[in-house]
Amino acid sequence: MAQQPLSSAAQPTDIYGGDEVSALVLDPGYCNTRAGWAGEDVPKSILPSFYGHSTATPTQNFFGDERLIPRADFEIRNYMNKDSVVEDWDVAPKIWEHMLINRLQPDKQTPPSKNGLNDDPKEKTQDGEGDVAMEETENQEIEKLLQENPLLVTEAPWNTPKAREKTTEVIMETWGCPAFWLSRTPVLSAFAAGKATALVIDVGGANTSVAAIHDGMVLKRSIQKSPIGGLWLSSQIRSLWETSEPKVTLTPTYMVENKTPVDALAPVQARLRQFPYQIHSSFRAYEEERVLTEFKESVVEVWNKPGRLNSPGNEEFAKTLPGRVFEMPDGWNQMWREQRFKLTEGLFDETAGYPLPEEERVAKNQTIPALIRAALEAVDVDLRGNLLANVVVTGSTTLINGFNDRLQNELAAMYPGMKIKIHAAGLTSERRFGAWIGGSILASLGTFHQMWISRKEYEENGPGIVEKRCK
Amino acid sequence: MRATDDSMEATLRARRDSTPSRQSSSRRDRSNRKTRHAVQDDNPEPASEHHRRHNSLEQGAIVTEGGVRPPNFFAVREKLFSCSSLRRTNTTASNTTTATTTNMASAGGKWREEQILIICPGSRTTMAQLGCSELTPPTHRFPTRMFKDGDEWRPYYTYQRKRVVDGVEKEEWVEDVDEDEGATWPIQGGQIVNMDAFLAFLDHVHSMLTTTYHNTPIMLMASPQWTRPDCEAIAQYIFEKTRTPALCMINSAIATQYGLKFPNMTVVDIGYEKVDVTAIYDGRVVNHLDLGPPRFDDKISGGEVFTQKLMKLLEGKKFNRDMAEQLKKSPICEVLPYAPNAKSLVDLPKETGVAQPVAEPEKVVEVPESNDAPKPPAATNSTEAENGEQNGDDDGVLDVASIVTSGQTREFLAKKEKEKGKPGRKPKDKEGDAAPSKAPRLPNSKRTHNTFFYEEVVQEIVNPEPKEKPATNGSAEKPSEPVPAGQTTDGQPAPATAPAATTTGDAMDVDSKAAAPADAPATETAPEAAKPEAATESKPEGAVEPKTEGEAEPNPTAVAEPKPEAAAESIPESAAESKPEAQPEPAVPNDTPEYRPKRVRRDIDIGLERFTFAERSEIDRIVTTIYRTIQGVDDMYMRPACWDNLVFVGNGSRLRGLKENILQTLNARHLVSPSTATMFTSELPSNMATPTGTGSQTPTGSFTGAPHQLPSSGVNPLLQAATTASTLGVAAVGTPQPGSDAAGPTTTHHFHSQTPTSIKTVGLPTYLQEWTKNGFEESMFLGAQVAARIVFCLHSNMDLQSVEAQRLANLSRIDYNELGPKGIRTHSMLS
Repeated sequence: MAQQPLSSAAQPTDIYGGDEVSALVLDPGYCNTRAGWAGEDVPKSILPSFYGHSTATPTQNFFGDERLIPRADFEIRNYMNKDSVVEDWDVAPKIWEHMLINRLQPDKQTPPSKNGLNDDPKEKTQDGEGDVAMEETENQEIEKLLQENPLLVTEAPWNTPKAREKTTEVIMETWGCPAFWLSRTPVLSAFAAGKATALVIDVGGANTSVAAIHDGMVLKRSIQKSPIGGLWLSSQIRSLWETSEPKVTLTPTYMVENKTPVDALAPVQARLRQFPYQIHSSFRAYEEERVLTEFKESVVEVWNKPGRLNSPGNEEFAKTLPGRVFEMPDGWNQMWREQRFKLTEGLFDETAGYPLPEEERVAKNQTIPALIRAALEAVDVDLRGNLLANVVVTGSTTLINGFNDRLQNELAAMYPGMKIKIHAAGLTSERRFGAWIGGSILASLGTFHQMWISRKEYEENGPGIVEKRCK
Repeated sequence: MRATDDSMEATLRARRDSTPSRQSSSRRDRSNRKTRHAVQDDNPEPASEHHRRHNSLEQGAIVTEGGVRPPNFFAVREKLFSCSSLRRTNTTASNTTTATTTNMASAGGKWREEQILIICPGSRTTMAQLGCSELTPPTHRFPTRMFKDGDEWRPYYTYQRKRVVDGVEKEEWVEDVDEDEGATWPIQGGQIVNMDAFLAFLDHVHSMLTTTYHNTPIMLMASPQWTRPDCEAIAQYIFEKTRTPALCMINSAIATQYGLKFPNMTVVDIGYEKVDVTAIYDGRVVNHLDLGPPRFDDKISGGEVFTQKLMKLLEGKKFNRDMAEQLKKSPICEVLPYAPNAKSLVDLPKETGVAQPVAEPEKVVEVPESNDAPKPPAATNSTEAENGEQNGDDDGVLDVASIVTSGQTREFLAKKEKEKGKPGRKPKDKEGDAAPSKAPRLPNSKRTHNTFFYEEVVQEIVNPEPKEKPATNGSAEKPSEPVPAGQTTDGQPAPATAPAATTTGDAMDVDSKAAAPADAPATETAPEAAKPEAATESKPEGAVEPKTEGEAEPNPTAVAEPKPEAAAESIPESAAESKPEAQPEPAVPNDTPEYRPKRVRRDIDIGLERFTFAERSEIDRIVTTIYRTIQGVDDMYMRPACWDNLVFVGNGSRLRGLKENILQTLNARHLVSPSTATMFTSELPSNMATPTGTGSQTPTGSFTGAPHQLPSSGVNPLLQAATTASTLGVAAVGTPQPGSDAAGPTTTHHFHSQTPTSIKTVGLPTYLQEWTKNGFEESMFLGAQVAARIVFCLHSNMDLQSVEAQRLANLSRIDYNELGPKGIRTHSMLS
């Protein structure tokens, strides 16, 4: 029987459930970029925003964690900056395409018009015309990679108008999406928690933001941002290892060929790998971050007993608490006790924590309590009660043990007598991908269909439409 | 602005209103998971005790679960459905399903096990079988390829050839089942790169196995790389172009899990050009990384990498792809164990007569000058000397193992060399003939050289006229046919002959069909080789005695006479045909000479290439991916279970020693050992979760193992969920409680412990003899059969939840009519 190609374009979507639009959701962040189908509960494609760049000619980019292995002439770069705003507009569309198209869409290497299956033998007689027609369709295929899928992209609340327009252009011009929407991450995080009014505290990889959401809108004056986040915590850990006695050397996993178990604090017996080429410092830094992440997962904790860590007596008490052993990739292992609480103390108290270089030091107004206070002070007094009763906590760094208890304590101390209720998703994936999940919910809503900025609207108004519509 | 608010409000209202329905449907979703396991227990297969225990725990957990973890997991999906007009669809769907279910229940045994078609497509080979009543290895294997012919697809290479029969020239179309030329391989590295060809291929597989679509539900295994639109396109094709009543698509890693029946596993699937690592916890995919798919990666990974490396290393010996492939599959080719202290991380066998430490493999390798048929046995006195020395070597072997690990290889070898001081055995002798005689004593991994018996099928010209037939079987002299001899010795067999030797299933068919004619050549080579191994040849042809051959001599002629005509038309699959290019000028003016396959064996001496082909970088790539997959699982408490249940599947993992090497590398590089720090302080091990006020994490007697080690069954999160959740009651639905609950619902436990503290592979089932023989590398097919039974054939003793779970595991035609292709998203076993 003749095999007719079944392009997804031919899907009779109008017959089966007219609301089905197969929207895509893209959530770029500094550490990870998430992409997936609207309506699903986790993003199907999660890639590090770090990518490998080969400086050898021809230059080449490598996307995906599997690809980030030691190579010659190989650097690790990030297309986002630490404000979670796209910095490298040459690479951003490529990595997004890799995620949205390569990973989520079927291979269109041989579109039906090109694979020769549909070449009408008769057409070949009228040679010239047939060729022209084919070239045209070919161009169309390249241009309209996403012509069937509306796309919702998230952005940091402080995203610049320029970056927004640029995003819009990529979506509409490069990919040919039928419709799009830009949405701010705190709104979506609140949405993922099922709230339209909330105080969203997002402690992510590169920074922390606090924003008040009212009726699904960000209250712009309330937006607060600080560089404390996963990376800041990493530098705390580095500082701890630097200053601890004996000094802990960080040998990333990729350098270790094999190791022999050693006693705690005993010299390392590991065989290191030799590479016939130079390993770029950015690669090493990226790999070191993996070890630091593991340390955060398994050792670091937030002081969640009453008071702060430096309240009288607390530090002594912390020393009596059970310690945690951490084994480095090269086998060095050590017990960590009160240090693991002190590491995170700087999130709440700028005077605590380990010494950091000047540029990484946190100012008094950058700790989480300070951010919350500033955010609440920027909104109407009448709203504050409602916001405090709907505190949404999201972001990977909040997964550190004890974080929410501590936050609860801090808030209770700051606003005595107010009803404070923290909502934090219990599932790790929901906490990590809060904004994406909110986007997934939003984009799959039937009522959201009228909200999409359509191609027609875009063509009438140009990229500026995004400033008017997505507020 | 106003519009935004309105929509938000509407949304929220909808969500608020829908809370009860969400709850119930969330429960339904969970029960889906549960019943998949529960149902498994009804399976005739003896489920492992561990598994049963797990089931009961899980059930316990689910009973109370509805009250505790509302906003999570599936609730999200439910939120989505409940919020929009999608809900309409949803409710209608469930209404109809109630009807469906009753129908199904009343139908009682809707499908029988014999009716189910199971297809497991791979990039190279597709396994398929009709029926799953016996859990056997697949009955059919098809090469996953199609040939384009105009606007249609053909399953086989087809060509036209001219043939002279009785002086009359005829044109005829011939299908060559073994020919790859011009083939489209619709799956590459697990990805569907040509959907048309793939659908045509599915159709071909189906038509080969069964004639009717009416009552043949299909169980189709999907690679993790298949995108959602891919799956929808397949569903649409199957339901709209065929009359299949139901389709179940199953993720290949989940299928593997069903085959091996461990609730938590890490499946490492080493395929032809890709490696998939999938972490599964509690029956769900929790993380997945892949190497090699062409759209993601710059470089392939998997079995083909090793074949290509072999080819490259043996370029000097004029190895072609087929030879390399056969060598890779032969027992002399293996990945040596990971040697943590050796310079190149592997202990290559050394010439014991030479004081040479483990050197760069390339240097040791010496390429023999000839690749002809092996030399005749050398003088017997040398063999004697060999034997004498062999014993010495034998003793040495044991030493070598221990000495090498002790890191004193150099000294030892130097010492030994002095002690010996014997007149050196020439390496030549050794590599030439001593190999076979040594075989029983020295394992392959300790020998620098070994003999590779390469078998190929060459096309031999046989003139149909009986009198000119050059059969000289009776005599043990060299065969007189010039053509095949020339083909064998130059090491470049015609491309047409290559595939016949490689295809496993088909090749056997070919052999049996062409058995009579092939006998002659096979035995011809046997005496020529003059090897004792000839007797051990497993091929039926080799076993045939020359005496019977003599009697059977006229047979080939008799068979050959009617064949030319008959074969071309009625038996296109017969391998008696070959390509027209190979057709020489007709020697006999009357009739075109007939080609007949002939099995030729050559002995090739292979040096250390048979070990060094396993590149460290490639193994490291796989090891790193496994490590990152498991360490990348979001929830830490899942990781120990994933580390303890590694399983290697995919035919790429059949490579001898590969699994072991990967495991050794993982252990040497990543294992976290119990620390002495905890022993000194006699405190709680660091893997204790921080106590939260509930007391649920108070240390119990279960922590008896080594510190740092998580007892896999000690604190089962599900059990804890079951025990702690009930106290909270249903009040917690929808909104979590403040206070201690602020840290997230109490059901989630943070197991703050480093992993891996142990790395183990799963024990493979022993009760399936056929599979034990076949090897569990293809256990995804076994799993697909098990899943097919559960999904399609289980009808009695099912409660409502199980029925519902079953309904959601496959897309029936009724559901398809309701939902369309997107029904496959929810009605499948894809994640």
